[in-house]
Amino acid sequence: MSTLTLDRPGQTVLMMGNEAIARGAIEAGVDFCAAYPGTPSSEIPESLARVAEHFGLYAEWSTNEIVALEAATAASLAGLRAIVAMKQNGVNVCADFLMTVNLSGTKGGLVIAACDDPSAISSSNEQDSRNFARFADLPLLEPATFQEAKDMTKWAFELSEKIGLPCILRSVTRISHSRGNVELGEIPERTRTAHFEGAYISGAFVPIQHSALHQKLAQAQEEFESSEFNWYAGPEDARFVVMTSGSGWLYSREAVAALGLENEVGILKLGTTWPLPERYVIEHLKRAKEVLIVEETDPFLEQNVKVLLAEQPETQDRIEVYGAKSGHLPGFGDINQDKVARALATIKGLEYRTRDEQYAKKAGELALPGLPPRMPTFCPGCPHRASLWAIKAALKLDGRNGFVTGDIGCYSLGAGPAGFWQLKTLHCMGAGTGLASGFGQLGRFGFDQPVVAVCGDSTFFHAAIPGLINARFNNSNVLMVVLDNGGTAMTGFQPHPSSGRDAVGKPAPVVEIEEICKAIGVDVAVRDPFEVDQAIEDLYDMLQNDGAKVMVFRRRCYLVEAKEKGKRRVYVNAEKCIGDDCGCARFCSRVFNCPGLIWDHDAQRARIDEVVCTGCGVCATLCPRGAIAVEGDER
Amino acid sequence: METGKGCLDLENEVINAGLCTSCGACVNVCPYIKVVKDTVAVIEPCGIAEGQCYDSCPRTPTDIAALDRAVFGKERSDSSLGPYLSIEMAQAGDSSVRSRAQYGGVVSALVSFAMDAGEIESAVLTRPFDGSLMPSPTLAANSSGVLDCAGSNYIASATLAQLNKAAKQSSEAIGVVGLPCQVLALRKMQASKHETGAEGVKLTIGLFCTWALSYQGLRDFLRDKVNASSVRRFDIPPPPANVMEIVTDAGSVKLPLDDIREFIKPTCSVCFDMTSEFADISVGMVEGIEDWNTLIVRTAVGKRLIEKAKLEGAIETKPLEEARLDHLREASLQKKKRAIAEIVRRTGDESDLSYLRLSDGDRRKFV
Repeated sequence: MSTLTLDRPGQTVLMMGNEAIARGAIEAGVDFCAAYPGTPSSEIPESLARVAEHFGLYAEWSTNEIVALEAATAASLAGLRAIVAMKQNGVNVCADFLMTVNLSGTKGGLVIAACDDPSAISSSNEQDSRNFARFADLPLLEPATFQEAKDMTKWAFELSEKIGLPCILRSVTRISHSRGNVELGEIPERTRTAHFEGAYISGAFVPIQHSALHQKLAQAQEEFESSEFNWYAGPEDARFVVMTSGSGWLYSREAVAALGLENEVGILKLGTTWPLPERYVIEHLKRAKEVLIVEETDPFLEQNVKVLLAEQPETQDRIEVYGAKSGHLPGFGDINQDKVARALATIKGLEYRTRDEQYAKKAGELALPGLPPRMPTFCPGCPHRASLWAIKAALKLDGRNGFVTGDIGCYSLGAGPAGFWQLKTLHCMGAGTGLASGFGQLGRFGFDQPVVAVCGDSTFFHAAIPGLINARFNNSNVLMVVLDNGGTAMTGFQPHPSSGRDAVGKPAPVVEIEEICKAIGVDVAVRDPFEVDQAIEDLYDMLQNDGAKVMVFRRRCYLVEAKEKGKRRVYVNAEKCIGDDCGCARFCSRVFNCPGLIWDHDAQRARIDEVVCTGCGVCATLCPRGAIAVEGDER
Repeated sequence: METGKGCLDLENEVINAGLCTSCGACVNVCPYIKVVKDTVAVIEPCGIAEGQCYDSCPRTPTDIAALDRAVFGKERSDSSLGPYLSIEMAQAGDSSVRSRAQYGGVVSALVSFAMDAGEIESAVLTRPFDGSLMPSPTLAANSSGVLDCAGSNYIASATLAQLNKAAKQSSEAIGVVGLPCQVLALRKMQASKHETGAEGVKLTIGLFCTWALSYQGLRDFLRDKVNASSVRRFDIPPPPANVMEIVTDAGSVKLPLDDIREFIKPTCSVCFDMTSEFADISVGMVEGIEDWNTLIVRTAVGKRLIEKAKLEGAIETKPLEEARLDHLREASLQKKKRAIAEIVRRTGDESDLSYLRLSDGDRRKFV
């Protein structure tokens, strides 16, 4: 039984942070979930979709985050409880709606789970989406433990309903993607029915609405003053206080213990970080002389605390605040126990070594020789490898120094060796097409390079269509290449509008990419990138034409294909492969460089790594000697 | 042959210098060099210092005398037309072949005959106007496939890429019909120290060629003039017409040759060979005579095939009048002189003939 459906209040189970958030929503009796996938948030809607039928709740993958938020808000306006989940970049996509729904207000509990990715492990930035709470005057909660991830989510619905505003629940990768103990609560009976009444208009008497928003926020602040998610740990009269939120709590606790400072350093852990529970904070800082602020990623808490301290009467003793501004913590990248301990040790003038030097040396000696040097690459069988090779070839044949504007998806790796360094710009969802539509107008300024915009199938629906329409409308010279691998692959192959199935796995209407392109009025062709030579020729031909045009390279993610249809065996015919006597110069394992293709140093021949090979067989079409064969398909 | 160079040298000295003939000799040998239409590019340097690509290119250094010795066993005595055994007029014996072909149908007839006679099993040919202006290289295995390729092309296609592909898949006897640059490349492939796809080539028929057009230039020029997908025939009628005639399903269009000349590939102006001097047999038009070809037999292989073909009625021949022969020789000589003048104009040095390696004596005949 799933930990989401387990109806045993009081039982402790191991849960991933995102599952705990989903469980919290279930315990709040959530009715509606909408999301666009994005690491590290995707498991929240996935978990809810898996139990949607069980609980009779509705779960959908939306085309993008703003649509998800709008759809979820509709449920809220009809009196239901709704949750949206997104990665940090998704909050930007929502921003326009966020900055108006705050004014109109909401009805049923509405929770926005924003999962940030400090260090951008799976992202193109590491923005701190807490800033949106301050920007939009919305209440902000930050879970620090797995238990809190669940409990805080549940409470967020109640708070949202109470004050009539969406509530932002901000997680980070290390909370969302780690696992810990969670004590289950009760699963309530769900009894709400949807009914809309009244009016939710932002833009009418805005200053009055804005003022009302401030009052709602003050109401939230009052709730925060007594929140169980804020606590203090340590000696009552500590002169040194670590203030922290979110992932910083566990790092701080470990760091204080590692330095043996439990008896002199207190930790003030806040779960409600915007607006700050000011009385609560001041009360716990009144004996402090020094404060170190530990948080991921921006000095958000730090700045708010500094403002709060500055507002205190002059009679109050000055408190030294350490953090990103003082340089004790970075203010960029993720943090960990070591970084916190080092900051503490520096301030306290203590000696601190992350680990014993001898141990570090020995670990290096043991581990490193076994690790092959490896750049980030596409999965074995990934169609993008062939697509980007075709793009590279077509641009080279074209000979006008054409280049590729990149977008967000697995193919973002095309900016590196995996995609032969083809992507020359990389920003946010849809940016490749928008940039290309601009480049395509520069002919009048002497620009003579062809521009190829790549975008994934899911990205196409999410954000690239307006750019394509712009290119068409303004007659820009753009070749858009849709790298259609049949799903939102990078985040776990979630379905999208052309996948033919919905979030709970049921058949769904198919929105065809090429039909959209035709309706926009651009030339569109669909090709299989595994027919590499044909793909090159057709791309080359399209590059010769002015205006906006679209090539859809359609080939399903082969990891999924192999999983569903079984893996074909691909092998190297050792008689046909002539190794370094071939003019190919190890093309398969050196240039094309699929992880399934390896060079056998003993035999001096190419070899297939059958463990990782997915059996896609594209290498068989590329080997100039025909030495690579697919079993049952030998030519 | 000068060797010791690889694909980056090919890219620098030939492709980037505008000398590529898009013959296809370097294509389908490795995964690094690709052709689309009549454009060849090195997609990524392979890193191999000495490449077959450089070795077999018709625009990398070519020692004409050495190649003469390799192909004909001796150096040429006719500096205008290259080595030959005989020159006649010829036409296909079968009038239906002639009606599909551009002129006398000799090439189609000879290739079909060579297949029927078991001299070759398949032939690498070029199929014109397959729904586009761009001709496409084809491997024909029977006479109907051969007839599909009848007719003249004025855009060079990478015919030898098809040979390289075919040679990888089987070792059967292959015939090749090619332009002078393609025939030259084919002979360089055969003389190469590398293992090439040319070993299986048992018959080489060369075409006469004055120049070829760039696909892109011609396509753009014709864009609003003819429907490229319905082109049936290109022809340049003899002077003084000075036009190119394009026959489409919708009728015939005549365009000023001077406009068309704008799109001659830059490499054609340094071409030294009008009559495919290294072929077994060379075939071209006879100016002013619609249904006959000029036929130059150059090698023993060519001679044997022609004799058999005559005997069995595949082709008919008659003598080429002396005046016409003189005219042909003069045209060929003029092409050589123009080529040398252009090369010297480009190199700025009378002793630097770019890809051509000629003895001082030979060089002086043309400068």
